[in-house]
Amino acid sequence: MKASLRRLFLLLCWCLSAAVWAGQSDGLLVLDRAHAVVQVGGQAQAAEVSLPYHWDRLHRTQGGWGQFELAFTLNDRPSDPWGAYLPRLGNAYRFWLNGNLLQEAGNPDKVNGEDHAKSSTYVPIPTGLLTTHNTLRIEIRADDGRRGGLSPITLGPADQVLALHQEAQRWRVQVSMSIAVFSWLVALISLVLWITQDDPRPGQPRRDNTYLWAALAELCWSLRVGDVAITHPPIPWPWWGIVATASFAGWICCTALFCHHVAGWQNGRGMRWFSLGVAALFLSSVAASAISLFALEPAYLTAWLGLANLCFVAYALVYTVAAWRKPDVARWLVALVGCLNVAMGLRDWLAIRISGSLNDNTWIRYSSVLFGLTLVYIVVMRFREASAQAREARDLLAQRVREKELELQESYRRLEQLAREQERGAERARILRDMHDGVGAHISSAIRQLQSGRSSQGELLSTLRDSLDQLKLSIDAIHLPTGDITALLANLRYRLEPRLRACDIELEWAVDLIDPIPWLDAQAMRQLQFMVFEALSNVMQHAHARRVRIEAEAHDGLARIRLIDDGHGFDTRVPPRRGLKSMQERAQGIGVVLDLQSQPGRTVVAIGIPTGGANGAG
Amino acid sequence: MWRVFIVEDDPDMREFFESGVARSTHLCVAASAGTVAQALALLDEADPPDVLLTDLQLPDGSGLEIIRAVRQRFPACESLVISMFGDEDNVLAAIEAGALGYIHKDAAPDDIAQTILDMKAGASPISPMVARRVLAKYVSLQSRRAELAEPPPQVLDDERPALSRREQEVLELIARGFSYQEIARLQRVSVHTVQTHIKNLYGKLAVHSKVEAVFEATRMGLLPRVSR
Repeated sequence: MKASLRRLFLLLCWCLSAAVWAGQSDGLLVLDRAHAVVQVGGQAQAAEVSLPYHWDRLHRTQGGWGQFELAFTLNDRPSDPWGAYLPRLGNAYRFWLNGNLLQEAGNPDKVNGEDHAKSSTYVPIPTGLLTTHNTLRIEIRADDGRRGGLSPITLGPADQVLALHQEAQRWRVQVSMSIAVFSWLVALISLVLWITQDDPRPGQPRRDNTYLWAALAELCWSLRVGDVAITHPPIPWPWWGIVATASFAGWICCTALFCHHVAGWQNGRGMRWFSLGVAALFLSSVAASAISLFALEPAYLTAWLGLANLCFVAYALVYTVAAWRKPDVARWLVALVGCLNVAMGLRDWLAIRISGSLNDNTWIRYSSVLFGLTLVYIVVMRFREASAQAREARDLLAQRVREKELELQESYRRLEQLAREQERGAERARILRDMHDGVGAHISSAIRQLQSGRSSQGELLSTLRDSLDQLKLSIDAIHLPTGDITALLANLRYRLEPRLRACDIELEWAVDLIDPIPWLDAQAMRQLQFMVFEALSNVMQHAHARRVRIEAEAHDGLARIRLIDDGHGFDTRVPPRRGLKSMQERAQGIGVVLDLQSQPGRTVVAIGIPTGGANGAG
Repeated sequence: MWRVFIVEDDPDMREFFESGVARSTHLCVAASAGTVAQALALLDEADPPDVLLTDLQLPDGSGLEIIRAVRQRFPACESLVISMFGDEDNVLAAIEAGALGYIHKDAAPDDIAQTILDMKAGASPISPMVARRVLAKYVSLQSRRAELAEPPPQVLDDERPALSRREQEVLELIARGFSYQEIARLQRVSVHTVQTHIKNLYGKLAVHSKVEAVFEATRMGLLPRVSR
């Protein structure tokens, strides 16, 4: 960016030196005296005049017509084509040589019509028209306050004179047009930025007006600088003159607001007053221009320009001091460019409005480019900053996501640990309950049997076998598939059948394949196992049965297990023994129905298990 | 007369089994050991046994090592495991190592000799829980093969111990609690045929454990696939 600025500065220096070089071209004939007949406000005057003939200066911006005759002699008739170069001519003109009309532009009779005085003029002089004694006659139409007139005429060989004209055209028209296009592009980009870079957060300004003011400034400037190529304005003069002044005023006012935003003063207390001042400056430019052009009082516009210069000299000073106090690349850049432009504006004011140069061109049009470049620099820097912030935000987000993931993993780990602990707790409780109800109960029974001395060895052995069987069933219960009654009964048969055989009890097996009952969890399965074990144990120890039949079937939402023996039975009306009581409690506990029917020769223990869900388990 | 090799670390229990074996005129105790090391050393020295009776939890290792060693050195020797609870984890591990059955520590002395003789006669006990586990293992193995949706390694084709339909039916009935006699009646075959099915199954389970390891290793890319 710094290199670009340096190159632009060198370019400006070069163009200034080129302009000086063009004014000093030697070896050519320069005509700067003429006999003029001018007609202003209905009165005609004839006089010898020197050129440039600055119409606005000499006639207080009042338009009119003029005819200028310039006689000159040549030693020889030139054999090559010649040309005439006029830095300023018009607003409309006819160009005669020795009575021959060589060129005309615009209608000299149509007041406030076309304007051909904005660019330089080149008139080719065909070979043979020039003699030793020649007379140029130039008729012009000059409109009110339109910088019309006639500049000195440079005559000479066509190639030399055309080179002067082309050089002047390059700087006045072509470079101006390039600047206009550049400004228009910058305006467009700024406008797009202003529209698209909105901040939806509450309490924040929705859009950054830096871009808006830059866009408006560049739009105004595009029109003002591009005016050099507009010979046929869309609205008649002097209205178009007011538009041109307003464009200039718009540019300086919007640029001031842009600078204010770059400095970060837009939210300050002085912003309201500053905006009002800028608006007043803008409106006063329209008034000054209108008075200058309609009332033919050019002093008003000169005064307004002087005032604007004064204001901006002060503003540039304040801005520079502020940038000095609170240094920032963007502020410094704006301050420097602002100072340079103010200096150019001052120079233009002095050269064109005060000293009244007709040929001179404004320099501020070139220096203004720096504002556009500054804006481009600011935008690039902001985007770089925004990208950096976005990267930081993304990294921060990624880091937070990682932290959250770790937290999540940790909480999962804790949950799993908790679940494992709960599982272990439940398992411990189950094992303790099994030991208490099963092995523990049987071993304590065995001890009591031994202590009492009344029990036979067979009874004792039976108690201990019960204990070991309970232990085996406890271990089997760990692997029992949830809700699988068939598996439960099959396993019980496998464990107890050797004892049934030892007791000479024949077993009949009538167990259907029953679908697993989902609600029967491990605890309920264990209770069911206890109940069937208890029933079989009773058959073996007390029933004196010869045959036991185990049935299992499921239909109508109920799975039924029935143990039928042919023993001598018992009275179901008397209070049940401990084993039977325990069976009833367990049945109630898991929500199944226990039904006991007994008579000599047929005892049926039936367990009804609802397949859909427990019956008031508690 | 079958020569029985007993490995049990508890001297009382070892004596109990020795006396149980001695009750039968068809059996004799070839040797007894209390540890894996002793057992392996005795296997090198003594004549080949016909039956191995081993506890699983030994002071210096697992009885499974002895079963594998016996199976490797004396293929004709049949192994029985001494188990306190006959729980399915231990029983399955023993079967997969090559055992053909198990004896409970609380078995009656007469039952010990009888179980050994039954085994030599072709019977192999299997509990409903073990049958259920075996069925579940085969089902999961088959479904995993289906998931892979490609031909299994050739080694499986050569050695795959697939269950026959009849073996599967027998297993299902055992899992439902039916005795061999009841199964024989339901299947209209002799009890001996049922026992043969079970014994074959035991053999397949021992192979299965090896093949499953190869299959899993191939699936995990540890072994190269063999194209057809």
